[in-house]
Amino acid sequence: MSRLKPRERDAIVQALRAGVVPKLGLRHIQVGRVREIEELVKDMDRISGGGSAIRFIVGEYGSGKTFFMNLIRLVALEKGLVVMFADLAPDRRLHASGGQARGLYAEMARNLSTRTKPDGGALASVVERFVSTAHRESEERDLPTDNVIREKLAYFEELTGGFQFSEVVRRYWEGHETGDGELKASALRWLRGEFATRTDARKALGVRTIIDDASVYDHLKLMSAFVCEAGYKGLLVGMDEMVNLYKLTSAQARNSNYEQLLRILNDVLQGSAQNLGFLMGGTPEFLTNTRRGLYSYEALQSRLAENTFVRDDLVDMSGPVIRLASLTPEDLYVLLENLRRVVHGEESPLPDDALKAFMHHCSQRIGEAYFRTPRNTVTAFVNLLAVLDQNPGVEWSDLIEQVEVSEDQGDDLSDVDEATGAQPSERDDDLVSFQL
Amino acid sequence: MVSAFDKLAHPVQKWVRSRGWRELRKIQADAIHAIVDSDDDLIISASTAAGKTEAAFLPLISQVLVDPAQTGGFDLLYVGPLKALITDQAMRLEDICHNAEIPVYPWHGDVSASVKSRALKAPKGILLITPESLEAMFIRRGLEVPRLFGAIRAVVIDELHSVLDSERGVQMRSLLTRLEIAVKRPIRRVGLSATLGDMKLASAYLRPDKAESVTLMEAKGGESELLLQVRGYVAGNEDDDDDTLAAEASVAAHLFKHLRGSDNLVFAGARQSVEKYADSLRELCERAHLPQEFYPHHASLSREHRDFVEDRLKDANLPTTAICTSTLELGIDIGDVTCVAQVGAPFSVASLRQRLGRSGRREGQPAVLRQYAVELRHDSASNFVDRLRLGLVRTIAMIELLLEGWCEPPRPDALHLSTLVHQVLSVIAERGGAKADRLHRVLCQEGPFRQVSVEMFLGVLRSLGKPETGLIEQSSDGLLLLGPKGEKLAEHHRFYAVFQTPEEFRLIADGKELGTLPITNILTPGMLLIFSGRRWLVQEIHALERVIIVQPAKTGVPPRFGGDPGAIHDRVIERMFDLFESELEPAYMDPTALDMLKEARKNYAWMGFSSSPVIETSEDSHILATRRGTAKNCTLALALGAKGFKVEQHDGFLSVWTHESCDGLMQVLRCVAGGEDMDLFAHSPNLVFEKFHEHLTPELLQQDAHSCRLDVSSLQSTASMLVGTNLEETDAGPTIEPSKK
Repeated sequence: MSRLKPRERDAIVQALRAGVVPKLGLRHIQVGRVREIEELVKDMDRISGGGSAIRFIVGEYGSGKTFFMNLIRLVALEKGLVVMFADLAPDRRLHASGGQARGLYAEMARNLSTRTKPDGGALASVVERFVSTAHRESEERDLPTDNVIREKLAYFEELTGGFQFSEVVRRYWEGHETGDGELKASALRWLRGEFATRTDARKALGVRTIIDDASVYDHLKLMSAFVCEAGYKGLLVGMDEMVNLYKLTSAQARNSNYEQLLRILNDVLQGSAQNLGFLMGGTPEFLTNTRRGLYSYEALQSRLAENTFVRDDLVDMSGPVIRLASLTPEDLYVLLENLRRVVHGEESPLPDDALKAFMHHCSQRIGEAYFRTPRNTVTAFVNLLAVLDQNPGVEWSDLIEQVEVSEDQGDDLSDVDEATGAQPSERDDDLVSFQL
Repeated sequence: MVSAFDKLAHPVQKWVRSRGWRELRKIQADAIHAIVDSDDDLIISASTAAGKTEAAFLPLISQVLVDPAQTGGFDLLYVGPLKALITDQAMRLEDICHNAEIPVYPWHGDVSASVKSRALKAPKGILLITPESLEAMFIRRGLEVPRLFGAIRAVVIDELHSVLDSERGVQMRSLLTRLEIAVKRPIRRVGLSATLGDMKLASAYLRPDKAESVTLMEAKGGESELLLQVRGYVAGNEDDDDDTLAAEASVAAHLFKHLRGSDNLVFAGARQSVEKYADSLRELCERAHLPQEFYPHHASLSREHRDFVEDRLKDANLPTTAICTSTLELGIDIGDVTCVAQVGAPFSVASLRQRLGRSGRREGQPAVLRQYAVELRHDSASNFVDRLRLGLVRTIAMIELLLEGWCEPPRPDALHLSTLVHQVLSVIAERGGAKADRLHRVLCQEGPFRQVSVEMFLGVLRSLGKPETGLIEQSSDGLLLLGPKGEKLAEHHRFYAVFQTPEEFRLIADGKELGTLPITNILTPGMLLIFSGRRWLVQEIHALERVIIVQPAKTGVPPRFGGDPGAIHDRVIERMFDLFESELEPAYMDPTALDMLKEARKNYAWMGFSSSPVIETSEDSHILATRRGTAKNCTLALALGAKGFKVEQHDGFLSVWTHESCDGLMQVLRCVAGGEDMDLFAHSPNLVFEKFHEHLTPELLQQDAHSCRLDVSSLQSTASMLVGTNLEETDAGPTIEPSKK
């Protein structure tokens, strides 16, 4: 394993203490789930080879979906793919009529990353790379650059919305050539889906359409073709927090979103999408609930139904659904070891016995859930390490009994506290653990 | 000291000057000082047309101008109960804001989508909205609420007196709390109210946590003129005890003469009589070859017809009079009429005030109330209710209390479970799902449902989550989501209103439909009710289907009138008995009405109520003068019903029939007085009254009824009053006071 850079160490510690997934240095803490990773790496290869893939990463809250997806994201970047990741939210979804789908696209476009720019905001460099490739080619072939761009994007015009897309790219080139920074910025704004009305877009660029709610998936396909023309291997689209679709209040809205998913699923599974992969993270309920989950949409249920031959010890990783298995105690032990090494380096004041004691304590506190949802355990452990770090006199054995770990509670009430100026109050157990 | 005028921003000063006002009114100057100098909540109470709106908005607009908001969002929010009122106020505010370049957006069901989308795109300035539209905004744009109201400085609540503790008032309070939570800070609340006797009620409503810090501001005098008349009509006579046609015809003729040519509202009791009056007025128009301008308006007419009537009323060029049922309080959206007429007694002072407030809104115009009392001519067989003229006496009692500035105080311990159901669904829809602890925190700790215990709250959630109810469901992480039925319910625009016009019940005897009757009080099998001049025994009540199965009761002469809906407050009943026992002759009554009142007093004394609260009218029937309002009266009626008595409820009285199988009435009353536990719900009475009651379990409904429709704690004292005085009376013997003519 490569050496841990101080920057990565700080990023990891900070992210884990806040209970979120670090963007850097994942390989230093990753444990288990080897089969799943292998399978996904194969997928990335397939995408860069011109194929397509779609995977639903399904697991409980805190089971490591986001961690896993970020890991795959890093793999994809290493393989030369462009990635567009975004979390779904009530105002960012696949299908909508009030700008929410465009909101999702805009978020993805903002987060667009490449190997050299892994933290997002790479759309400009992708477009830049495309036009400079075209420019170089035009010099070689002694043609006007405009013609080369036209040639490269000629087949775009057969794709839905492709004509306007290539028009915008040519505008970018125009701005590039004439030194018109504003035109370039407008073209990028258009590509990022930030124009809200057609009128604005026409004023700025002279094109008659924009990326709107109805054309999100079409533009993802265009984008995958475009990044290939720019010299990348393909596009990986990641959508996390898919459970937000499940939570939509209107049955009609849910169905329209699932319809979009079906369209994507069909395209990918039938092989009509090229150089394009999808990674979607959601809870088991989002998948299997037959009233409001994906299974409520019959066409999706039959496509996503799990292999009936899969039993406890048998696995099938070839289907579109990947269920994140629980971590084994051994995995967890290795995870804690990794964390210890990240925080304290090779010489830690914390002996191996302490790790065992910590695991024992956690399993007593929250029982079986702690294998399924490592997030809380990890946060508690990193906090413990931090205290030990800053208080050299303290014995680890005194601290472990005080460690508070609890099961994941999604909703938090801090906004109410803020509004009323109240101190975070004791929660009533009846309310917290309420079951209908 | 800086004068109030100087504290206003320049464009606002300019507007004031352009109006040619010599000086600001006192209430306006006071309000300007209060609003500019502090951040406290404020209630401005004054009569209509006293310049309340300007008092609140001149300084608030000045603040917006002096210190423009850094973030986007509406600066000021105005919540008004009627669409017509909002349209009206929007025009007045636009006038002020025109120079200041502050946009004013009216927002309710009739406002065009283009105005709304403009407001949504660049939220700024003043938003005027109904509680229902605000609710819709939370449900449909829950995520945008923080953006839309990020810059908000103050909420102005108009007609504060009209909401207080009604379903709508509780909804509004809940929405204000949710708004504060959404923008994460308290928002100043400014209430505009008519003058109430006890303004503390209003401040507790405005800011429940800090009622004492609410500044109260009252305009003395400046009352707009109130024209008031109670006209009495005697129906039937010895030769012709047939019906009340003659009296009704003269009421209609009087209405026709005085209302034609202007916009008016007539409240005419139940649906049948609404139709009757509308028909005779139409006939009068036709006979005189005049255009038709009297239209009926009630809940069972089609939406189109009602819209047509409401639109006509709003049109200043077409004189229109709507004749509506007494229960149609909020369902009719009409702001401004010349005169309000009522046939039959009103059922609460608050609603009387509310109705009256719809007339005389324009400056210099008086508020006009025409009250018609149709009473039966007495004969030897008349029932005591007719003899005492309870309807007329109640009318006078309420008008007296209205003139004193009193109105029914809210019951502070009311649970409002129906409204809670609505708000639970609304918060879930707003956030796309919420956990039980958040719902409890937002609604029951911060919001208005503080009387609801954790246990009861969870009970409500469980009853909503039952598979057959299907309003909510739960995902594995505990998040509560809308269930299949909840989704359907919340999607429809009818969901936004928390109140409903009471549906009338169909009365069915032997498979034949007798007609419909509005029921807003608790009714249980074994009780007696009066319908179309006959007495009926309630057999079964089907609350959800709105059907009551009755059979004719074979007991004595029924009163001609009765079965009025409405919860009468103790204070009103007290005043009614005061009227019986005093000599007051109000100036607003016409001679016939005065004669009727005198007759009623004479009968009251003759029947012996001035000395004894229990009168035996025959071997098996008694009249109890409980002197209590509906809640306490009804509690006693249920208690007696549980013991097998047949009971009929009247204002402050109960008629009770015994039969062989039951114990003596006095004995039972003594048991009750002794504190014996009574099973009030023995015969499963009707408890479904409000919009969302049908989704709750019987246990929750009983608790809800206990909290606001019944008063168990009074049972003992009422019974001892009845028993105690009666014992004294046997010693002293009945005395009949001579009455003065």
